[in-house]
Amino acid sequence: MSATSDELLLDLQDVWRTFDMGEVSVEVLRGISFDVRRGEFLAIVGPSGSGKSTILNLIGGLDLPTSGKLHYGDQDLASASRSRLTKYRRDEVGFVFQFYNLVPNLTARENILMATEISENPQDVDEVLELVGLTDRASHFPSQLSGGEQQRIAIARAVAKNPKLLLCDEPTGALDFETGKLVLRVLVDLNQQLGKTVIVITHNSALAAVADRVIYLRSGEISEVAANETPVAPEEVVW
Amino acid sequence: MKTLTRKLFRELYGSIGLLLLIASIIAVGVTCFVAMQSAYHNLEQARLRYYRDCRMADFWIDLKKVPLTEVQVLQSIPGIAELRSRIRFMATIDLEGTLEPINGLVMSLPDQRKAVLNNIVLRQGDYFTDRRQNEVIISEKFATARDLSPGQTIHVLLNNRRQELFIVGTAISSEFTYLVGPGSFVPDPEHFGVLYIKRSFAEDVFDFQGAANEVVGSLTTDARDRVDEILSRAEMMLDTYGVFATTPLELQQSNQFLSNEIRGLGEIATVIPGIFLIVAALVLNVLITRMARRQRVVVGTLKAIGYSDFHVFIHFLMYGCIVGVVGGVLGSLLGYLFATGMTAVYQWFFEFPDLRSDFYWYTHAVAMTVSVLCAVLGSLRGALAMLRLKPAEAMRPEPPKQGGKILLERLLGRTWNQLSAGWRMALRSLFRHPFRTGTGIFAAMIGAGLLVSGFMMTEAQDYLLEFQFYRTARSDIDVTFESEKSIEALAEVQAMPGVDHAEPLLNVAATFVNGPYRRKSGVTGLVPAALLTVPYGADGLPIQIPDSGIVMTRRLAEILQLKVGDRFTLIPVKGERRPVVATVARIADSYMGLAAYADIHYLSGLVGESLAISRAQLTMDGNPRHLNALYRELKRTPGIESVQSRTAMIEQLMETLLQNQFIFIGVLTLFSGIIFFGSIVNVSMVSLAERQREVGTFLALGYTQTQIGGMFLRESMVTNLIGSLLGLPVGWLLTWLTAVSYNNDLIRLPVVSEPWVWWTTLVLAVAFALLAQLVVQWTLYRMDYLEALKVKE
Repeated sequence: MSATSDELLLDLQDVWRTFDMGEVSVEVLRGISFDVRRGEFLAIVGPSGSGKSTILNLIGGLDLPTSGKLHYGDQDLASASRSRLTKYRRDEVGFVFQFYNLVPNLTARENILMATEISENPQDVDEVLELVGLTDRASHFPSQLSGGEQQRIAIARAVAKNPKLLLCDEPTGALDFETGKLVLRVLVDLNQQLGKTVIVITHNSALAAVADRVIYLRSGEISEVAANETPVAPEEVVW
Repeated sequence: MKTLTRKLFRELYGSIGLLLLIASIIAVGVTCFVAMQSAYHNLEQARLRYYRDCRMADFWIDLKKVPLTEVQVLQSIPGIAELRSRIRFMATIDLEGTLEPINGLVMSLPDQRKAVLNNIVLRQGDYFTDRRQNEVIISEKFATARDLSPGQTIHVLLNNRRQELFIVGTAISSEFTYLVGPGSFVPDPEHFGVLYIKRSFAEDVFDFQGAANEVVGSLTTDARDRVDEILSRAEMMLDTYGVFATTPLELQQSNQFLSNEIRGLGEIATVIPGIFLIVAALVLNVLITRMARRQRVVVGTLKAIGYSDFHVFIHFLMYGCIVGVVGGVLGSLLGYLFATGMTAVYQWFFEFPDLRSDFYWYTHAVAMTVSVLCAVLGSLRGALAMLRLKPAEAMRPEPPKQGGKILLERLLGRTWNQLSAGWRMALRSLFRHPFRTGTGIFAAMIGAGLLVSGFMMTEAQDYLLEFQFYRTARSDIDVTFESEKSIEALAEVQAMPGVDHAEPLLNVAATFVNGPYRRKSGVTGLVPAALLTVPYGADGLPIQIPDSGIVMTRRLAEILQLKVGDRFTLIPVKGERRPVVATVARIADSYMGLAAYADIHYLSGLVGESLAISRAQLTMDGNPRHLNALYRELKRTPGIESVQSRTAMIEQLMETLLQNQFIFIGVLTLFSGIIFFGSIVNVSMVSLAERQREVGTFLALGYTQTQIGGMFLRESMVTNLIGSLLGLPVGWLLTWLTAVSYNNDLIRLPVVSEPWVWWTTLVLAVAFALLAQLVVQWTLYRMDYLEALKVKE
């Protein structure tokens, strides 16, 4: 069951993001507005170039909007300083990347430790490893892990800091179908059992079936917002 | 250990080869710095202790003969703290079983031990006793070289009398820290020694009762900067006793050699290490920038996780820091070892009672700080790039570098198209990475510059020897008379066994005065068309001694601010000693001392005397039996102060210098090799790492590893050759700077070069590049090109 509450976690209003590319400027986001509730599982779906990653970067405090309002609780992210954003990312956000972005020179366990060491209220590393089912792979280096295992370690790393918000950029994009479903299961469990707010961006609309709500993006604008009354279990998803 | 630190160490381990190469460049710099600075302090401290213990004098006054009562008059000069008079003569030492001439400097010491100025430090045996009058204390190295020890006797020709002397001890003294015989510039303890005899004995044998021919003195602390003025007054007061020379401590031969060495060490101790550290910083910059860029996504991830910019910045700075620490520690250790080695070599050249290699913590601390600082500076660019990198941007792969034509393509026009694909790629790569290419060129330039300057330095020594001992002075044997002789003395020497040719010389000590500029030196009188002493002009041609006027060596002319045609005053310390006006007839080249030459008749006229000679120069017929006969004959001949076999001296000189040259060239080649090898390997490997996919593609296309290696070799050869060519003038400049900073009245380094200097440097540069290429080739062979093709960038 979804853990969505009424509490407003994120609020975007008329967010624009423009990139200057020398002589031309490209409007990647054009007046996006939506909000996210605590405990919600939100999917943002759209084709390549629709602005999904840019939204994730803005929400994750990796980037700033050109204009518009962006609030996390009562924090104004749109005008936050670099150090403020760093603190926000450290305390509130967990990232999961398409290509896992594990540090190749660190073991699975050390990759997770890397995150807990800067966190004020981290989870126990062994518990997190158990949560993603990789206790026995803890001392392996990324190159010794399969893609699915790497992604689960990446999720463990994101969760270990005990963030409220999990941001996942194409988390199954580099994985095969079965492994992808395993990873989705972990994300759903984190949402339902630990009450984490999960935002997944994907070009694969099939994944949207597991989310509470789906935002469809096209050319930097929201084309549709659909509430999902009956999210399906990851195991039932087909793509 | 923090996880990031663990990551740091694993990555350092992953690039350990390249980082160690850079650390070794730093280590070489730190080694030079620590070794030279420590050697500098070792020498400086030893000098301080030695001068203090021996009560080193502040000035020396050499005269013909002065009554001791007159010496006391000098005490009235304000600033003079203490005086000591002594008797000092050159003598011939006659060792049993040795025919070749051995010269000795005989000096008087009080009969009873006293803490006199220029005291001795006993090394073996005891001070004089009351048992014998003919006791002698001999200089330590001479004793060692000739296997002499207390209890033995030696024979010395003192005032034309063969005296038996009983050795009671061996000693050293601070005024002979650098002890060289007349006309030489390296110690030759086998052929020259100092003999200390009792004052009363010296008075007897030299007929010097109540008189002396040398006065040494010390000054009060506040008078030390007035030494010239005090010496002028002293000279005036002793004028009637024939002052040959007044020498302040600053110009005393041993002190001058030692001070020049210490000063030179101090100056060079910052320049040479500085060069190495700059190269290391540049090469490190190339490597760390690359390492950082390769970790772009990791940086993005770290920042996304919540690591601050500063955290990431420090993380990348730590790479350099650790390289700096490793280089610093290695250099500190090696530097201490080298300093110990250098100090041992110095102990050979200089005689100290306690020259030791100490550990100077501040030198090591400075070296460590500078090495870390240089390494941190080297990693700054890479770390700053990562500091500035925005996390969102870091997640995206780096945009491809600009393509398009390079400047050279436009300049070459159609010729460009005739270049092979390999050459085009190599040249484009060089032009598209200007910083990296620049670093490669700079490192090669410095490496080649060091080689050139080292080779030129040895060439300078050889040239100096050739110039001074073969071209300017050409005799086999020099015979110095005790006092001036008439020209008949020459005929006597000429008639001795084996003498092929003999020429007379007249040495006149004199003060040269040109307005405010004064200098004590001497004029050598030569016969017209002399064959055994031939001054050379700047044009490289021998100078014919003119009938009148003085041929002055350049250094002396510069000191006196004189040029050809100028008139100056010459005050001879002989004859009537009246000041005369002379003209500078020619300027001669010279690399040792402050010589001046004149026609012997003209010079005799100047000093108001008839023709006299003070020395005879001989060439021999080459028959060794004749030479031995000559030595025997000379020993029997009265009135001879010293006999100098120039052949023996030159042999000794060559042996000493060659030995040191080999070590010097060896170390220099190793050090510049580290620069060449370290920089080429680093630059090539960084380039290889960046172009892994390109390499994979070529391999997939069917190129062999050797063919691909050839492309990288083209790049490193181009940078290396351009750098090395630029290094040739840089090396010349370095030599010139060293020569300028080391040059002094005693010795000057000629800045000369021979073709071998240039081509050996270039051949070595190419050899180092090929050696470095082996590493690149080896990496290519080991590369997993399928993996390389998968590189995500």
